[in-house]
Amino acid sequence: MADLSVNLPGLQLRNPVIAASGAFGYGSEYRDLLPFEQLGAITVKGVSPFPSDGNPTPRTAEVYGGMLNAIGLQNPGLKKFICDAQYLPFLRTLPCPVIVNIWGRSIEQYAEVAAGLEEERQGIAALEINISCPNIKEGGIAFGTDLKLAAKVVAAVRKVSSLPLITKLSPNVSNIGDFAKCAVDAGSDMVSLINTMPGMAIDLESRRPLLANVSGGYSGPGIKPIALRMVHEARKAIKAPIIGMGGISNGRDALEFMVAGADAVAVGTAIFANPQCLLQIPQEMEQWLDRQGIKKVSEISNSLKI
Amino acid sequence: MSKTFQRDALVLSNEQIQGDYYRMVFEQPVIADMARAGQFLHVQIPGMPHRILRRPFSISDVNLCKGSLSIVYKVVGVGTEQLGQLKPGLLVNLIGPRGNGFGKLPTEGESVLLGGGYGCAAIFLLAKRAAKPPLIMLGGRSREDIIMVPEFESLGCKVLVATDDGSLGCKGYVTLLLEEYLRQGGMPSRVAACGPLGMLESSGRLCEKHSLDGELSLDSIMCCGMGACFACVVKKRADNEQGWEYVRSCQEGPVFKADEVYWG
Repeated sequence: MADLSVNLPGLQLRNPVIAASGAFGYGSEYRDLLPFEQLGAITVKGVSPFPSDGNPTPRTAEVYGGMLNAIGLQNPGLKKFICDAQYLPFLRTLPCPVIVNIWGRSIEQYAEVAAGLEEERQGIAALEINISCPNIKEGGIAFGTDLKLAAKVVAAVRKVSSLPLITKLSPNVSNIGDFAKCAVDAGSDMVSLINTMPGMAIDLESRRPLLANVSGGYSGPGIKPIALRMVHEARKAIKAPIIGMGGISNGRDALEFMVAGADAVAVGTAIFANPQCLLQIPQEMEQWLDRQGIKKVSEISNSLKI
Repeated sequence: MSKTFQRDALVLSNEQIQGDYYRMVFEQPVIADMARAGQFLHVQIPGMPHRILRRPFSISDVNLCKGSLSIVYKVVGVGTEQLGQLKPGLLVNLIGPRGNGFGKLPTEGESVLLGGGYGCAAIFLLAKRAAKPPLIMLGGRSREDIIMVPEFESLGCKVLVATDDGSLGCKGYVTLLLEEYLRQGGMPSRVAACGPLGMLESSGRLCEKHSLDGELSLDSIMCCGMGACFACVVKKRADNEQGWEYVRSCQEGPVFKADEVYWG
Protein backbone atom coordinates (compact mmCIF):
# COMPACT_ATOMS: atom_id res chain seq x y z
CA MET A 1 0.00 0.00 0.00
CA ALA A 2 1.70 3.14 -1.23
CA ASP A 3 1.95 6.10 1.13
CA LEU A 4 -0.26 8.84 -0.29
CA SER A 5 0.53 11.47 2.34
CA VAL A 6 2.01 14.74 1.17
CA ASN A 7 3.70 17.46 3.18
CA LEU A 8 3.29 20.97 1.90
CA PRO A 9 4.59 23.99 3.85
CA GLY A 10 2.49 24.08 7.03
CA LEU A 11 -0.03 21.76 5.44
CA GLN A 12 -0.09 18.00 5.91
CA LEU A 13 -2.39 16.06 3.60
CA ARG A 14 -3.34 12.40 4.05
CA ASN A 15 -3.59 12.20 0.28
CA PRO A 16 -2.69 14.68 -2.48
CA VAL A 17 -6.27 15.29 -3.68
CA ILE A 18 -7.80 18.64 -2.72
CA ALA A 19 -11.34 19.81 -3.47
CA ALA A 20 -10.92 22.95 -5.59
CA SER A 21 -12.39 26.32 -4.68
CA GLY A 22 -15.77 27.04 -6.22
CA ALA A 23 -16.57 23.37 -6.73
CA PHE A 24 -17.08 22.44 -3.08
CA GLY A 25 -19.15 25.32 -1.70
CA TYR A 26 -18.34 25.84 1.98
CA GLY A 27 -17.98 22.12 2.70
CA SER A 28 -21.26 21.53 4.52
CA GLU A 29 -23.05 21.00 1.21
CA TYR A 30 -21.32 17.63 0.85
CA ARG A 31 -21.64 16.38 4.42
CA ASP A 32 -24.23 13.71 3.53
CA LEU A 33 -22.18 12.32 0.66
CA LEU A 34 -18.52 12.33 1.72
CA PRO A 35 -16.51 11.22 4.79
CA PHE A 36 -14.36 14.30 5.36
CA GLU A 37 -11.77 12.31 7.31
CA GLN A 38 -10.80 10.61 4.04
CA LEU A 39 -10.26 13.82 2.03
CA GLY A 40 -6.85 15.30 1.34
CA ALA A 41 -8.08 18.85 1.95
CA ILE A 42 -10.90 21.11 0.89
CA THR A 43 -10.81 24.65 -0.47
CA VAL A 44 -13.86 26.80 0.18
CA LYS A 45 -15.45 29.22 -2.23
CA GLY A 46 -13.81 32.65 -2.52
CA VAL A 47 -14.42 34.97 0.44
CA SER A 48 -14.28 38.75 0.03
CA PRO A 49 -14.44 41.49 2.70
CA PHE A 50 -17.96 42.39 1.51
CA PRO A 51 -20.99 40.21 0.66
CA SER A 52 -21.30 39.73 -3.10
CA ASP A 53 -24.34 38.83 -5.23
CA GLY A 54 -22.24 37.45 -8.06
CA ASN A 55 -23.27 37.59 -11.71
CA PRO A 56 -26.73 37.52 -13.32
CA THR A 57 -28.11 34.16 -14.52
CA PRO A 58 -27.64 31.93 -16.50
CA ARG A 59 -24.28 31.40 -14.88
CA THR A 60 -23.23 28.04 -16.28
CA ALA A 61 -23.42 26.20 -19.58
CA GLU A 62 -22.38 22.68 -20.41
CA VAL A 63 -19.99 22.48 -23.35
CA TYR A 64 -18.01 19.74 -25.06
CA GLY A 65 -15.53 18.30 -22.58
CA GLY A 66 -16.68 20.34 -19.63
CA MET A 67 -18.53 23.50 -18.73
CA LEU A 68 -18.41 27.27 -18.68
CA ASN A 69 -19.09 29.18 -15.50
CA ALA A 70 -19.50 32.82 -14.68
CA ILE A 71 -20.74 32.61 -11.11
CA GLY A 72 -18.96 35.84 -10.26
CA LEU A 73 -17.74 34.89 -6.77
CA GLN A 74 -21.07 35.14 -4.95
CA ASN A 75 -20.26 34.89 -1.25
CA PRO A 76 -21.59 35.95 2.16
CA GLY A 77 -18.67 38.28 2.93
CA LEU A 78 -15.98 38.02 5.61
CA LYS A 79 -18.13 38.78 8.66
CA LYS A 80 -20.84 36.26 7.88
CA PHE A 81 -18.22 33.70 6.82
CA ILE A 82 -16.61 33.98 10.25
CA CYS A 83 -19.79 34.14 12.34
CA ASP A 84 -22.51 32.11 10.61
CA ALA A 85 -22.67 28.50 11.81
CA GLN A 86 -22.74 27.04 8.29
CA TYR A 87 -19.40 28.58 7.32
CA LEU A 88 -16.22 28.82 9.44
CA PRO A 89 -17.77 27.38 12.66
CA PHE A 90 -18.77 24.28 10.64
CA LEU A 91 -15.43 24.12 8.83
CA ARG A 92 -13.62 24.12 12.21
CA THR A 93 -15.29 20.82 13.07
CA LEU A 94 -13.88 19.03 10.01
CA PRO A 95 -11.15 16.39 10.32
CA CYS A 96 -9.42 17.47 7.09
CA PRO A 97 -7.37 20.60 6.34
CA VAL A 98 -9.45 23.57 5.24
CA ILE A 99 -8.02 26.08 2.76
CA VAL A 100 -9.85 29.40 2.50
CA ASN A 101 -9.83 31.07 -0.92
CA ILE A 102 -9.82 34.89 -0.71
CA TRP A 103 -10.34 37.75 -3.13
CA GLY A 104 -10.95 41.50 -3.23
CA ARG A 105 -11.52 44.32 -5.67
CA SER A 106 -8.34 46.09 -4.61
CA ILE A 107 -5.00 45.23 -3.03
CA GLU A 108 -6.29 46.69 0.24
CA GLN A 109 -9.33 44.42 0.16
CA TYR A 110 -7.19 41.31 -0.30
CA ALA A 111 -5.22 42.40 2.77
CA GLU A 112 -8.44 43.19 4.64
CA VAL A 113 -9.90 39.71 4.24
CA ALA A 114 -6.54 38.08 5.01
CA ALA A 115 -6.17 40.19 8.17
CA GLY A 116 -9.71 39.33 9.26
CA LEU A 117 -9.02 35.63 8.83
CA GLU A 118 -5.67 35.94 10.63
CA GLU A 119 -7.58 36.82 13.80
CA GLU A 120 -9.84 33.83 13.28
CA ARG A 121 -7.18 31.47 12.01
CA GLN A 122 -8.10 28.53 14.22
CA GLY A 123 -9.29 25.75 11.92
CA ILE A 124 -7.84 27.34 8.79
CA ALA A 125 -4.91 25.41 7.30
CA ALA A 126 -3.94 27.88 4.56
CA LEU A 127 -5.14 30.79 2.44
CA GLU A 128 -5.45 30.57 -1.32
CA ILE A 129 -5.17 33.99 -2.95
CA ASN A 130 -7.42 34.12 -5.99
CA ILE A 131 -5.85 36.44 -8.53
CA SER A 132 -7.29 34.56 -11.46
CA CYS A 133 -11.09 34.66 -11.56
CA PRO A 134 -12.04 35.51 -15.17
CA ASN A 135 -15.61 36.52 -14.33
CA ILE A 136 -15.48 39.73 -12.32
CA LYS A 137 -14.76 43.20 -13.64
CA GLU A 138 -12.60 44.43 -10.79
CA GLY A 139 -10.14 42.24 -8.98
CA GLY A 140 -9.56 38.64 -9.88
CA ILE A 141 -7.82 38.23 -13.19
CA ALA A 142 -6.81 41.90 -13.40
CA PHE A 143 -4.27 41.07 -10.67
CA GLY A 144 -3.36 37.70 -12.11
CA THR A 145 -2.31 38.94 -15.53
CA ASP A 146 -0.05 41.79 -14.40
CA LEU A 147 3.21 40.80 -12.73
CA LYS A 148 3.53 43.99 -10.68
CA LEU A 149 -0.04 43.85 -9.38
CA ALA A 150 0.24 40.14 -8.65
CA ALA A 151 3.35 40.76 -6.56
CA LYS A 152 1.67 43.61 -4.68
CA VAL A 153 -1.38 41.49 -3.81
CA VAL A 154 0.71 38.59 -2.55
CA ALA A 155 3.01 40.88 -0.57
CA ALA A 156 0.05 42.68 1.00
CA VAL A 157 -1.49 39.37 2.12
CA ARG A 158 1.90 38.06 3.30
CA LYS A 159 2.32 41.12 5.49
CA VAL A 160 -0.85 40.44 7.48
CA SER A 161 -1.07 36.65 7.43
CA SER A 162 0.94 33.98 9.20
CA LEU A 163 -0.92 31.19 7.43
CA PRO A 164 0.63 29.21 4.59
CA LEU A 165 -0.16 31.07 1.37
CA ILE A 166 -1.11 29.54 -1.95
CA THR A 167 -1.47 31.85 -4.96
CA LYS A 168 -3.92 30.63 -7.58
CA LEU A 169 -2.65 31.50 -11.04
CA SER A 170 -4.48 32.31 -14.24
CA PRO A 171 -3.79 30.38 -17.45
CA ASN A 172 -4.57 33.55 -19.39
CA VAL A 173 -0.93 34.71 -19.52
CA SER A 174 1.82 34.19 -22.04
CA ASN A 175 4.39 32.94 -19.52
CA ILE A 176 3.01 31.14 -16.48
CA GLY A 177 6.53 30.58 -15.14
CA ASP A 178 6.99 34.33 -14.64
CA PHE A 179 3.80 34.52 -12.57
CA ALA A 180 4.70 31.47 -10.48
CA LYS A 181 8.10 32.98 -9.71
CA CYS A 182 6.64 36.40 -9.03
CA ALA A 183 4.13 34.96 -6.51
CA VAL A 184 6.79 32.97 -4.68
CA ASP A 185 9.22 35.91 -4.63
CA ALA A 186 6.46 38.08 -3.12
CA GLY A 187 6.00 35.64 -0.24
CA SER A 188 3.65 32.92 -1.43
CA ASP A 189 4.60 29.51 -0.02
CA MET A 190 3.01 27.66 -2.92
CA VAL A 191 1.12 28.22 -6.14
CA SER A 192 -1.96 26.50 -7.52
CA LEU A 193 -2.82 26.36 -11.19
CA ILE A 194 -4.70 26.59 -13.40
CA ASN A 195 -7.89 28.56 -12.87
CA THR A 196 -10.48 28.27 -15.66
CA MET A 197 -9.76 29.29 -19.27
CA PRO A 198 -11.84 32.20 -20.60
CA GLY A 199 -14.36 30.93 -23.14
CA MET A 200 -17.88 31.36 -24.48
CA ALA A 201 -20.81 29.46 -25.92
CA ILE A 202 -23.57 30.61 -28.27
CA ASP A 203 -27.12 29.43 -28.91
CA LEU A 204 -27.19 29.51 -32.71
CA GLU A 205 -30.96 29.89 -33.16
CA SER A 206 -31.28 32.93 -30.91
CA ARG A 207 -27.69 34.06 -31.61
CA ARG A 208 -27.37 34.82 -27.93
CA PRO A 209 -24.54 33.84 -25.59
CA LEU A 210 -25.49 31.00 -23.24
CA LEU A 211 -24.12 32.94 -20.28
CA ALA A 212 -25.58 36.23 -19.07
CA ASN A 213 -21.99 37.36 -18.53
CA VAL A 214 -21.33 36.55 -22.24
CA SER A 215 -18.04 34.83 -21.41
CA GLY A 216 -17.07 32.48 -18.63
CA GLY A 217 -14.37 30.14 -17.44
CA TYR A 218 -13.95 26.80 -19.22
CA SER A 219 -13.25 23.85 -16.94
CA GLY A 220 -13.41 20.07 -17.13
CA PRO A 221 -11.50 17.33 -18.97
CA GLY A 222 -11.14 19.55 -22.06
CA ILE A 223 -8.59 21.82 -20.39
CA LYS A 224 -6.34 19.08 -19.03
CA PRO A 225 -3.61 19.27 -21.73
CA ILE A 226 -3.38 23.05 -21.27
CA ALA A 227 -3.15 22.70 -17.50
CA LEU A 228 -0.53 19.93 -17.64
CA ARG A 229 1.71 22.02 -19.84
CA MET A 230 1.35 25.00 -17.54
CA VAL A 231 2.23 22.96 -14.45
CA HIS A 232 5.30 21.74 -16.33
CA GLU A 233 6.25 25.35 -17.22
CA ALA A 234 5.70 26.53 -13.65
CA ARG A 235 7.82 23.67 -12.30
CA LYS A 236 10.72 24.78 -14.46
CA ALA A 237 10.42 28.30 -13.00
CA ILE A 238 10.08 27.59 -9.25
CA LYS A 239 11.16 25.12 -6.57
CA ALA A 240 8.17 25.87 -4.28
CA PRO A 241 5.31 23.37 -4.12
CA ILE A 242 2.70 23.40 -6.88
CA ILE A 243 -0.92 22.31 -6.58
CA GLY A 244 -1.89 21.23 -10.08
CA MET A 245 -5.43 21.30 -11.40
CA GLY A 246 -7.45 21.54 -14.59
CA GLY A 247 -9.65 18.72 -15.84
CA ILE A 248 -8.57 16.03 -13.38
CA SER A 249 -11.23 13.34 -13.12
CA ASN A 250 -9.41 10.10 -12.30
CA GLY A 251 -6.30 8.73 -10.64
CA ARG A 252 -4.26 8.64 -13.83
CA ASP A 253 -5.01 12.33 -14.52
CA ALA A 254 -3.87 13.22 -11.00
CA LEU A 255 -0.66 11.21 -11.34
CA GLU A 256 0.13 12.85 -14.69
CA PHE A 257 -0.06 16.26 -13.00
CA MET A 258 2.35 15.07 -10.33
CA VAL A 259 4.75 13.73 -12.95
CA ALA A 260 4.57 17.14 -14.68
CA GLY A 261 5.74 18.78 -11.47
CA ALA A 262 2.80 19.09 -9.06
CA ASP A 263 3.21 18.17 -5.38
CA ALA A 264 -0.54 17.85 -4.87
CA VAL A 265 -3.59 18.21 -7.09
CA ALA A 266 -7.02 19.79 -6.92
CA VAL A 267 -10.26 18.55 -8.43
CA GLY A 268 -13.16 20.81 -9.33
CA THR A 269 -15.61 20.13 -12.13
CA ALA A 270 -15.34 16.34 -11.71
CA ILE A 271 -16.99 16.74 -8.29
CA PHE A 272 -20.14 18.04 -10.01
CA ALA A 273 -20.29 14.91 -12.15
CA ASN A 274 -19.44 12.55 -9.30
CA PRO A 275 -18.80 13.74 -5.73
CA GLN A 276 -17.34 10.30 -4.92
CA CYS A 277 -14.40 11.09 -7.22
CA LEU A 278 -12.73 12.71 -4.21
CA LEU A 279 -12.47 9.22 -2.69
CA GLN A 280 -11.98 7.30 -5.93
CA ILE A 281 -9.07 9.37 -7.27
CA PRO A 282 -6.76 8.66 -4.29
CA GLN A 283 -7.75 4.97 -4.44
CA GLU A 284 -6.88 4.80 -8.13
CA MET A 285 -3.59 6.59 -7.47
CA GLU A 286 -2.73 4.09 -4.75
CA GLN A 287 -3.54 1.12 -7.00
CA TRP A 288 -1.34 2.47 -9.79
CA LEU A 289 1.55 3.17 -7.43
CA ASP A 290 1.24 -0.34 -5.93
CA ARG A 291 1.33 -1.90 -9.39
CA GLN A 292 4.45 0.11 -10.17
CA GLY A 293 6.05 -0.82 -6.85
CA ILE A 294 6.34 2.85 -5.83
CA LYS A 295 6.24 3.26 -2.05
CA LYS A 296 5.46 6.96 -1.72
CA VAL A 297 3.39 9.19 -3.99
CA SER A 298 5.79 12.10 -3.56
CA GLU A 299 8.43 10.03 -5.38
CA ILE A 300 6.69 10.59 -8.69
CA SER A 301 6.45 14.38 -8.31
CA ASN A 302 8.45 16.11 -10.99
CA SER A 303 9.58 12.81 -12.53
CA LEU A 304 8.91 13.75 -16.14
CA LYS A 305 11.38 12.13 -18.50
CA ILE A 306 12.28 14.19 -21.54
CA MET B 1 -33.91 19.44 4.06
CA SER B 2 -33.82 15.64 4.10
CA LYS B 3 -30.65 13.59 3.98
CA THR B 4 -29.12 13.21 0.52
CA PHE B 5 -27.82 9.95 -0.91
CA GLN B 6 -25.66 9.11 -3.91
CA ARG B 7 -26.65 5.64 -5.11
CA ASP B 8 -26.79 3.52 -8.25
CA ALA B 9 -30.33 2.75 -9.37
CA LEU B 10 -31.61 0.02 -11.66
CA VAL B 11 -33.66 1.25 -14.62
CA LEU B 12 -36.91 -0.73 -14.40
CA SER B 13 -38.58 0.87 -17.41
CA ASN B 14 -38.16 3.79 -19.79
CA GLU B 15 -41.24 4.32 -21.90
CA GLN B 16 -42.61 6.96 -24.20
CA ILE B 17 -45.74 8.63 -22.84
CA GLN B 18 -46.49 10.58 -26.01
CA GLY B 19 -44.52 12.66 -28.49
CA ASP B 20 -41.26 13.76 -26.85
CA TYR B 21 -42.39 12.86 -23.33
CA TYR B 22 -41.05 9.80 -21.51
CA ARG B 23 -41.30 8.17 -18.09
CA MET B 24 -38.36 6.40 -16.47
CA VAL B 25 -38.78 4.22 -13.40
CA PHE B 26 -35.80 3.47 -11.14
CA GLU B 27 -35.43 0.90 -8.40
CA GLN B 28 -33.72 2.69 -5.53
CA PRO B 29 -35.44 1.95 -2.20
CA VAL B 30 -33.27 4.22 -0.03
CA ILE B 31 -34.03 7.33 -2.05
CA ALA B 32 -37.65 6.27 -2.67
CA ASP B 33 -38.22 5.99 1.09
CA MET B 34 -37.06 9.56 1.69
CA ALA B 35 -38.59 11.24 -1.37
CA ARG B 36 -41.19 13.98 -0.97
CA ALA B 37 -43.27 15.69 -3.63
CA GLY B 38 -41.39 18.55 -5.28
CA GLN B 39 -37.95 17.09 -4.60
CA PHE B 40 -35.69 16.10 -7.46
CA LEU B 41 -33.15 13.51 -8.55
CA HIS B 42 -29.80 14.62 -9.92
CA VAL B 43 -29.16 12.04 -12.62
CA GLN B 44 -25.84 11.08 -14.15
CA ILE B 45 -26.80 10.01 -17.66
CA PRO B 46 -24.57 7.13 -18.80
CA GLY B 47 -22.99 7.08 -22.23
CA MET B 48 -22.10 10.76 -22.61
CA PRO B 49 -18.32 10.90 -22.14
CA HIS B 50 -18.01 14.46 -23.43
CA ARG B 51 -21.08 15.82 -21.59
CA ILE B 52 -20.27 15.41 -17.96
CA LEU B 53 -22.86 17.28 -15.92
CA ARG B 54 -25.82 15.69 -14.17
CA ARG B 55 -29.41 16.60 -15.04
CA PRO B 56 -32.09 17.38 -12.43
CA PHE B 57 -35.57 15.80 -12.76
CA SER B 58 -38.57 16.17 -10.47
CA ILE B 59 -39.63 12.98 -8.75
CA SER B 60 -43.04 12.33 -10.29
CA ASP B 61 -44.05 9.18 -8.45
CA VAL B 62 -42.89 6.81 -5.71
CA ASN B 63 -43.81 3.20 -5.06
CA LEU B 64 -42.72 2.45 -1.50
CA CYS B 65 -43.61 -1.26 -1.73
CA LYS B 66 -41.43 -1.77 -4.81
CA GLY B 67 -38.78 0.70 -3.67
CA SER B 68 -39.08 2.49 -6.99
CA LEU B 69 -39.44 6.07 -8.12
CA SER B 70 -40.23 7.76 -11.42
CA ILE B 71 -39.28 10.80 -13.42
CA VAL B 72 -41.15 12.23 -16.39
CA TYR B 73 -39.06 14.07 -18.96
CA LYS B 74 -39.26 15.71 -22.34
CA VAL B 75 -36.51 15.17 -24.89
CA VAL B 76 -35.16 18.69 -25.42
CA GLY B 77 -31.39 18.32 -25.81
CA VAL B 78 -28.34 16.07 -25.82
CA GLY B 79 -28.87 14.80 -22.27
CA THR B 80 -32.55 13.93 -22.49
CA GLU B 81 -32.02 12.44 -25.95
CA GLN B 82 -29.48 10.05 -24.47
CA LEU B 83 -31.78 9.40 -21.49
CA GLY B 84 -34.48 8.33 -23.94
CA GLN B 85 -32.14 5.65 -25.32
CA LEU B 86 -31.48 3.93 -21.98
CA LYS B 87 -32.75 0.38 -21.63
CA PRO B 88 -34.17 -1.37 -18.55
CA GLY B 89 -31.52 -3.27 -16.61
CA LEU B 90 -28.96 -0.48 -16.80
CA LEU B 91 -27.53 1.13 -13.66
CA VAL B 92 -27.80 4.90 -13.37
CA ASN B 93 -26.15 6.95 -10.62
CA LEU B 94 -28.56 9.18 -8.73
CA ILE B 95 -28.12 11.90 -6.15
CA GLY B 96 -31.27 12.49 -4.18
CA PRO B 97 -33.70 13.25 -2.93
CA ARG B 98 -32.64 16.87 -3.35
CA GLY B 99 -34.35 20.15 -2.52
CA ASN B 100 -37.04 21.11 -0.06
CA GLY B 101 -40.20 19.91 -1.86
CA PHE B 102 -43.78 21.11 -1.56
CA GLY B 103 -45.53 21.48 1.78
CA LYS B 104 -48.23 18.94 2.50
CA LEU B 105 -51.57 20.11 1.05
CA PRO B 106 -54.01 21.44 3.65
CA THR B 107 -56.81 19.07 4.62
CA GLU B 108 -59.31 21.96 4.67
CA GLY B 109 -60.69 23.52 1.48
CA GLU B 110 -59.68 22.84 -2.10
CA SER B 111 -56.10 22.88 -3.36
CA VAL B 112 -55.35 23.84 -6.95
CA LEU B 113 -52.26 22.38 -8.65
CA LEU B 114 -50.93 23.84 -11.91
CA GLY B 115 -48.56 22.01 -14.22
CA GLY B 116 -47.00 23.45 -17.37
CA GLY B 117 -45.60 20.88 -19.83
CA TYR B 118 -43.39 18.40 -17.98
CA GLY B 119 -43.98 20.50 -14.86
CA CYS B 120 -46.99 18.27 -14.23
CA ALA B 121 -44.50 15.61 -13.10
CA ALA B 122 -43.65 17.46 -9.89
CA ILE B 123 -47.27 18.02 -8.92
CA PHE B 124 -48.35 14.41 -9.56
CA LEU B 125 -46.75 13.04 -6.40
CA LEU B 126 -48.18 15.98 -4.45
CA ALA B 127 -51.67 15.16 -5.74
CA LYS B 128 -51.19 11.45 -5.03
CA ARG B 129 -50.25 12.07 -1.43
CA ALA B 130 -53.00 14.60 -0.74
CA ALA B 131 -55.69 13.78 1.82
CA LYS B 132 -58.31 14.61 -0.81
CA PRO B 133 -57.92 15.00 -4.57
CA PRO B 134 -56.86 18.51 -5.56
CA LEU B 135 -58.09 20.34 -8.66
CA ILE B 136 -55.54 19.98 -11.47
CA MET B 137 -54.88 22.56 -14.19
CA LEU B 138 -52.54 21.49 -16.97
CA GLY B 139 -51.15 23.71 -19.69
CA GLY B 140 -48.90 23.38 -22.71
CA ARG B 141 -48.24 24.74 -26.18
CA SER B 142 -50.33 22.11 -27.91
CA ARG B 143 -52.26 18.89 -27.20
CA GLU B 144 -48.99 16.89 -27.47
CA ASP B 145 -47.75 18.77 -24.41
CA ILE B 146 -50.65 17.73 -22.20
CA ILE B 147 -49.65 14.51 -20.47
CA MET B 148 -50.66 12.38 -17.47
CA VAL B 149 -54.36 13.33 -17.59
CA PRO B 150 -55.51 9.71 -17.04
CA GLU B 151 -53.07 9.33 -14.14
CA PHE B 152 -54.42 12.45 -12.41
CA GLU B 153 -57.99 11.31 -13.07
CA SER B 154 -57.25 7.91 -11.57
CA LEU B 155 -56.43 9.74 -8.31
CA GLY B 156 -59.95 11.14 -8.42
CA CYS B 157 -58.78 14.59 -9.50
CA LYS B 158 -60.76 16.84 -11.80
CA VAL B 159 -58.41 17.95 -14.61
CA LEU B 160 -58.79 21.23 -16.52
CA VAL B 161 -56.66 21.81 -19.62
CA ALA B 162 -55.49 24.86 -21.52
CA THR B 163 -53.28 24.95 -24.62
CA ASP B 164 -51.66 27.94 -26.32
CA ASP B 165 -53.06 26.87 -29.70
CA GLY B 166 -56.43 25.68 -28.39
CA SER B 167 -55.87 22.15 -29.72
CA LEU B 168 -57.00 20.72 -26.36
CA GLY B 169 -59.12 22.34 -23.65
CA CYS B 170 -59.31 26.14 -23.42
CA LYS B 171 -57.17 28.31 -25.68
CA GLY B 172 -54.61 30.26 -23.69
CA TYR B 173 -52.23 29.91 -20.78
CA VAL B 174 -52.94 27.57 -17.89
CA THR B 175 -53.06 30.56 -15.55
CA LEU B 176 -56.22 31.70 -17.38
CA LEU B 177 -57.89 28.64 -15.87
CA LEU B 178 -56.82 29.78 -12.40
CA GLU B 179 -58.03 33.33 -13.10
CA GLU B 180 -61.39 32.00 -14.25
CA TYR B 181 -61.62 29.76 -11.17
CA LEU B 182 -60.96 32.74 -8.92
CA ARG B 183 -63.43 34.91 -10.85
CA GLN B 184 -66.12 32.34 -10.20
CA GLY B 185 -65.50 32.67 -6.49
CA GLY B 186 -63.08 29.79 -6.02
CA MET B 187 -60.96 30.27 -2.90
CA PRO B 188 -58.19 27.63 -2.93
CA SER B 189 -56.59 26.81 0.41
CA ARG B 190 -53.31 26.20 -1.49
CA VAL B 191 -52.02 26.84 -4.99
CA ALA B 192 -48.99 24.81 -6.09
CA ALA B 193 -47.37 25.20 -9.49
CA CYS B 194 -44.51 23.82 -11.54
CA GLY B 195 -43.70 24.85 -15.08
CA PRO B 196 -41.95 27.50 -17.18
CA LEU B 197 -40.86 30.71 -15.44
CA GLY B 198 -43.51 32.89 -17.15
CA MET B 199 -46.27 30.60 -15.94
CA LEU B 200 -44.86 30.64 -12.41
CA GLU B 201 -44.66 34.42 -12.41
CA SER B 202 -48.33 34.69 -13.48
CA SER B 203 -49.30 32.12 -10.85
CA GLY B 204 -47.27 33.92 -8.20
CA ARG B 205 -48.79 37.29 -9.04
CA LEU B 206 -52.31 35.83 -8.91
CA CYS B 207 -51.57 34.34 -5.49
CA GLU B 208 -50.35 37.72 -4.27
CA LYS B 209 -53.33 39.62 -5.71
CA HIS B 210 -55.82 37.25 -4.10
CA SER B 211 -53.78 36.65 -0.91
CA LEU B 212 -53.54 32.94 -1.64
CA ASP B 213 -51.16 30.50 -0.01
CA GLY B 214 -49.00 29.57 -3.01
CA GLU B 215 -45.95 27.41 -3.65
CA LEU B 216 -43.91 27.53 -6.83
CA SER B 217 -41.32 25.02 -8.04
CA LEU B 218 -38.72 26.96 -10.03
CA ASP B 219 -36.90 25.43 -12.98
CA SER B 220 -33.42 26.89 -13.31
CA ILE B 221 -30.20 25.77 -14.97
CA MET B 222 -28.50 23.55 -12.43
CA CYS B 223 -24.95 22.36 -12.20
CA CYS B 224 -23.80 20.58 -9.00
CA GLY B 225 -27.32 20.24 -7.58
CA MET B 226 -25.73 20.14 -4.13
CA GLY B 227 -25.68 23.83 -3.22
CA ALA B 228 -21.95 24.12 -3.85
CA CYS B 229 -21.59 25.93 -7.17
CA PHE B 230 -24.20 28.73 -6.98
CA ALA B 231 -25.21 28.26 -10.64
CA CYS B 232 -28.95 27.77 -10.10
CA VAL B 233 -29.61 30.90 -8.04
CA VAL B 234 -32.97 32.66 -8.17
CA LYS B 235 -34.02 36.03 -6.78
CA LYS B 236 -35.68 35.78 -3.39
CA ARG B 237 -37.19 38.83 -1.72
CA ALA B 238 -34.91 40.24 0.94
CA ASP B 239 -34.90 43.08 3.40
CA ASN B 240 -32.03 44.94 1.74
CA GLU B 241 -31.53 47.94 -0.53
CA GLN B 242 -32.23 46.13 -3.81
CA GLY B 243 -35.09 44.12 -2.34
CA TRP B 244 -33.74 40.68 -3.30
CA GLU B 245 -30.92 38.22 -2.79
CA TYR B 246 -29.75 35.27 -4.85
CA VAL B 247 -30.55 31.92 -3.25
CA ARG B 248 -29.79 28.46 -4.57
CA SER B 249 -32.70 26.71 -6.23
CA CYS B 250 -31.21 23.26 -5.49
CA GLN B 251 -30.75 24.02 -1.79
CA GLU B 252 -33.21 26.68 -0.63
CA GLY B 253 -35.68 25.56 -3.34
CA PRO B 254 -36.69 24.42 -5.87
CA VAL B 255 -40.05 25.06 -4.16
CA PHE B 256 -40.53 28.58 -2.84
CA LYS B 257 -43.48 30.29 -1.20
CA ALA B 258 -45.12 32.41 -3.89
CA ASP B 259 -44.59 35.59 -1.86
CA GLU B 260 -40.86 34.84 -1.43
CA VAL B 261 -39.97 35.07 -5.11
CA TYR B 262 -38.79 38.42 -6.48
CA TRP B 263 -40.12 39.06 -9.99
CA GLY B 264 -38.65 42.57 -10.48
